[in-house]
Amino acid sequence: MSAALQTPFTAGLAALHRDDPAAAVPWLELALAQGEGGAYASLNLGMALTTLARFNEAAPHLRHALQALPELPEPGVRLGVIAATRGDTAEARARYEDVLRRHPRHVPALAGLASLAEKSGALDQAAALVARARAVEPDEPELDFAAARLALAAHDAIGAASLAEAVLHRRPCHALAAQVLARALLLAQPPAAALARLDHLADAAPFSPAWALAQGFVLAQLDQVEPAIAAFQLADTIAPGNPDILGELGRLLARQDRAEEALATLLPALAARPANLEWRNLAATLLWRRHRYAEMVAMLRDGIAEFGPHPTLNLNLALVLNAQGRQQDALDAADAAVAHAPGNLAALVNRIAVLPYHETLGTAATLAAAAADIAAALPATPPLPAVARGARSKLRVGMLSGGFGVHPVGWLTLAGLEALPEHRFEITAYSLKPRRDALNARFRARAARWREVAEPDDSALARQIQADEIDILIDMGGYGDTGRPFVLTQRPAPLQLKWVGSQFGTTGLPGVDFMLTDRWETPAGFEPFYSERLLRLPDGYVCYLPPSYAPAVSPLPALANGHVTFGCFNNLAKLTPAVLRLWARLLREMPDARLVIRTHALSDPGTRTLAQQRFAAAGLPLARMELHGGCPHTEMLASYTTIDIALDPFPYTGGLTVCEALFMGVPVVSLAGDSFAGRHALSHLSNVGLPDWVATDAEGYLARVQAAAADLPALAALRAGLRQRVLASPLCDAPRFGTNLAAALEAAWAAA
Amino acid sequence: MSGHAAHAEQAIAARLMAKASLLLQDRRPAEALPLLDRLHHLPRVPDKAREARAMALLALGRYGDAASAAGEALDALPGAAVLLHLRGRARLALGQDVEALDDAAAAVMADSASTDAKGLMADVLMKLGKADEAIFLAWRVTEALPDDMPAHLRLAQAFIMGGRHAAAEELLAALEARAPKLALPIALRAQNRLLMHDAPEAERITRTALDRGMVEVSLHSVLAHALVTQSRLAEAGLHFRAAARLAPHDAYLAHLASAAEGGTPDRATDAYVSAVFDGYAGRFEAELLGMGYRVPGLVRLAVDRWLAEIGADTIPGPVLDLGCGTGLVGVALLGLTGAGLCGIDLSRNMIAETRAKGIYTELHQAEFSVALARLQARYALVAAADLFCYFGDLDTALRGAAARLAPDGRMMFSVELSPAPDGWELGDSGRYRHSLAHVSAALRQAGLVALTVSPETLRHNGGEPVAGLFVIARRQDC
Repeated sequence: MSAALQTPFTAGLAALHRDDPAAAVPWLELALAQGEGGAYASLNLGMALTTLARFNEAAPHLRHALQALPELPEPGVRLGVIAATRGDTAEARARYEDVLRRHPRHVPALAGLASLAEKSGALDQAAALVARARAVEPDEPELDFAAARLALAAHDAIGAASLAEAVLHRRPCHALAAQVLARALLLAQPPAAALARLDHLADAAPFSPAWALAQGFVLAQLDQVEPAIAAFQLADTIAPGNPDILGELGRLLARQDRAEEALATLLPALAARPANLEWRNLAATLLWRRHRYAEMVAMLRDGIAEFGPHPTLNLNLALVLNAQGRQQDALDAADAAVAHAPGNLAALVNRIAVLPYHETLGTAATLAAAAADIAAALPATPPLPAVARGARSKLRVGMLSGGFGVHPVGWLTLAGLEALPEHRFEITAYSLKPRRDALNARFRARAARWREVAEPDDSALARQIQADEIDILIDMGGYGDTGRPFVLTQRPAPLQLKWVGSQFGTTGLPGVDFMLTDRWETPAGFEPFYSERLLRLPDGYVCYLPPSYAPAVSPLPALANGHVTFGCFNNLAKLTPAVLRLWARLLREMPDARLVIRTHALSDPGTRTLAQQRFAAAGLPLARMELHGGCPHTEMLASYTTIDIALDPFPYTGGLTVCEALFMGVPVVSLAGDSFAGRHALSHLSNVGLPDWVATDAEGYLARVQAAAADLPALAALRAGLRQRVLASPLCDAPRFGTNLAAALEAAWAAA
Repeated sequence: MSGHAAHAEQAIAARLMAKASLLLQDRRPAEALPLLDRLHHLPRVPDKAREARAMALLALGRYGDAASAAGEALDALPGAAVLLHLRGRARLALGQDVEALDDAAAAVMADSASTDAKGLMADVLMKLGKADEAIFLAWRVTEALPDDMPAHLRLAQAFIMGGRHAAAEELLAALEARAPKLALPIALRAQNRLLMHDAPEAERITRTALDRGMVEVSLHSVLAHALVTQSRLAEAGLHFRAAARLAPHDAYLAHLASAAEGGTPDRATDAYVSAVFDGYAGRFEAELLGMGYRVPGLVRLAVDRWLAEIGADTIPGPVLDLGCGTGLVGVALLGLTGAGLCGIDLSRNMIAETRAKGIYTELHQAEFSVALARLQARYALVAAADLFCYFGDLDTALRGAAARLAPDGRMMFSVELSPAPDGWELGDSGRYRHSLAHVSAALRQAGLVALTVSPETLRHNGGEPVAGLFVIARRQDC
């Protein structure tokens, strides 16, 4: 039929027929507007929109169709699918049952109901429903697949494998069937035999993607991620563009931290399967890693709008809003996730991760309360059974972190750890994120044992640590991105400490005996904010390793410029409205001064626009500001040559950023709060002998900045000697730090 | 197969080949290999697929498979320079130096412009200790590829090996200036200095690089050797340990770290011995002779006396040379081993060197105790020259050797002498030293009786004599 002879309605149907729902939607909308097709136009439009996961738009059309065409099962089934995807099980069940009352043999309704039963654990009921559906449509592979899934859930490995194989013979790109086959084979036989079976199948049909897919799943389950990726690449090359294969490949690439490649496969997969929430969240976290925040927000907001307030969507939304500097919106999203799933640990951890940035709630007391909420929600995990430990001449120190490399954890701990006496301490590194960089190599050279432990779960990891007979376990990840603090609640080591790595407040966790700190971070009297005992090092709590490639300190730029240039290279999450207002006041009072903000989030165009709006709304003069995105580390350090005075944010103050500014000759004005994060800058500035650069309130902050800016000769003199001063100070004195750390660990060990 | 199916299969094959090539370019051989394996199911495997598969296997370190794959590809495309080069590379990695040389030569003949082939040839020649020829070829490669860092590093290595230290220094300094962030030229320059007996400068070069935040096994390893040369063993231990941690599968470094730390495993691991001598084989003989290695001569002297005693012209039965190395004992006994000479060594490369001499009638590449357990014959002479320095406790080793000794036979061996009153110790060089008391007790335990135990200078190390014992023993029950 030529296009000229089609009506909008028939054109829409034709598009649906060729499996192109996106093309069908405008035709069907037009048909509906012109009164063509009647309720069938609504029905088809609703179905097209459902397929596109545009549930909010689909639902009214489907409801209209249901009303107008009560004898048809499709509208009810589609409404059931939408409800099920949104997690509204009761409505979904009611919809399916309603359809089945009129059409007892309606296969999609039976399958939908079976899926609900399966998810609720009613496997027998699910199996009976699937059997009913198969009696109606014995040749439908999707029903075979459902049966395979159920057989696997019932530990009938042989039955599951045989059903899944049958599905794959007919639908070789069926990734989920391949996954069931892989699991069934591994349940029934040793890995080598499972792989041999798949090799055999692949030999018989080398150009079918099915067996490569199943091999990929087997290998992934055995944590052989690289070979698994190879298998999925093979499947994708045989059957290019298949969204199910792309999605699985994307998942594995993400596991390997190959974010760009993972996004390149996941985004098209998600476009074809928009209702896949797991892929959506995964794609969102990948966008996070690439600092593509605005896209991430849009993706998560769309998801929440269409699929409801799923906790994971909200968790990720909270993180990205925070990264954009929208602390209140972030906390709202985090609170929404907690409210939707009370007691959910991930939601509570997410909340504590955004809380320290909040301008009024980022205090030691609220953080301690949030940590206590986490502790209260912990499932009862019995500690590992005690094991006999051999006598040794050295203390075995285990360090648990994803930051052993070019990362704040690396720059702030490596030099000190290198100076920890080898003959008294033996270090085992438990690395939560594979890294390969120069700092990582130095960590490897320092650690007697190196364990990559991103894959094992908390219990397995705790058992591993116990088996290694670690005496002192130091958590260096906390509630951060790759952190695994709950490992400590299983008490794998007799003495357990928290140090660096999202160290913004107390962990609140049972099993964390001490927090490594100093007298500036937690002066006497701060004990009530911490569930841990405070193990104060005599100088600062970290030891900064300046990069060998740091450029030279420049002369004070203000002398040549004739005006003062302020700078802040902290992330946007730390720039609260209160900070921006204070800076606006400062720039109002110093009409020649300029402000440079540099952070990776500003590379993201959407986030940059948003930041400009926020800055303008706070009264900051954009014309006197420079906004720069991320750049290589050397370049970032070099850009301090244009800064006279660094402005620290609050209540989450700069940590590594302060050390870097000081090393580049730029003094930092800070405002100390009472949380651990609120006193990082105080610790570092005090450690290099500049405690007077830390104010206790906004007025003091302004006064300190203005005083410094008013005496350029003094500022120039300070700058000229600042690097030497930093290097000579305890902040960079690795041997001294190593001695102090050794003494502190031995004292804690003796006291444990 | 229907025309449509065949067409679909061709399309898949084209995609597999294209994707595999991209993956190989991206240095992802593990991901390319399954794609290439699938192409081998085609009725006619494309030549490019065979070549790419050999390439992937080589990149994955599966040298045996790579050599076979390249061999199969050569069957289909005889004389192809690329394939010869691939097989030669694999063979070189397998220690099949002579075969690798054949492949390299054939590849150069097939494509005289191929820098890969010439580079391979230079590498093989270096392994065979032919420094001057290696220098010439390596230099030709750098001429053709003036910007290729690995090619220049190869030339520098060849210079070092050929003792042309000034040339190496000049080249490495230039490479360092060109790529200041690269550790290898710096480590090589330090090594060059070390070989020029300038350990302090080697130390300075490596320390400067480490202070600049560079981290590399080679820097730590060369620094550790420089410190050992300056008798600063405790400091060396730190760097051997760092190097060993950065290369956790390197048995050589692990052993040195353990030795420098004063750890005393009861014998050196097979992996260590194999690693040391596989790396060493080409220059082992020259090094030992250069160090005034005397043990083969002592064996010859003792055998001459023994034969005079018993009035024989040749050794009255087969000879077993334990830890035969490159066959120096065989050379020393030339003309006296009429009843056969069997050599055992752990190192494939050593065995290859020995085989090339054509003196031994039987050679086994195996671990000492495994080989002894396999042998059935009884030997008139069992020699173990410079072998027991890789063993701590000698009881088992001597018992195993004694079991293969003919009733009237002679056991001759050397040990490095420990000044301790008893027992044995692991020395700083990674070799074991034994006390006289331990040797005597082990002989007794093994059912052997010493005929002579003479203090000897076994060789010189860095100008210093290495004190040892040369022992001649026979079975107690005879």
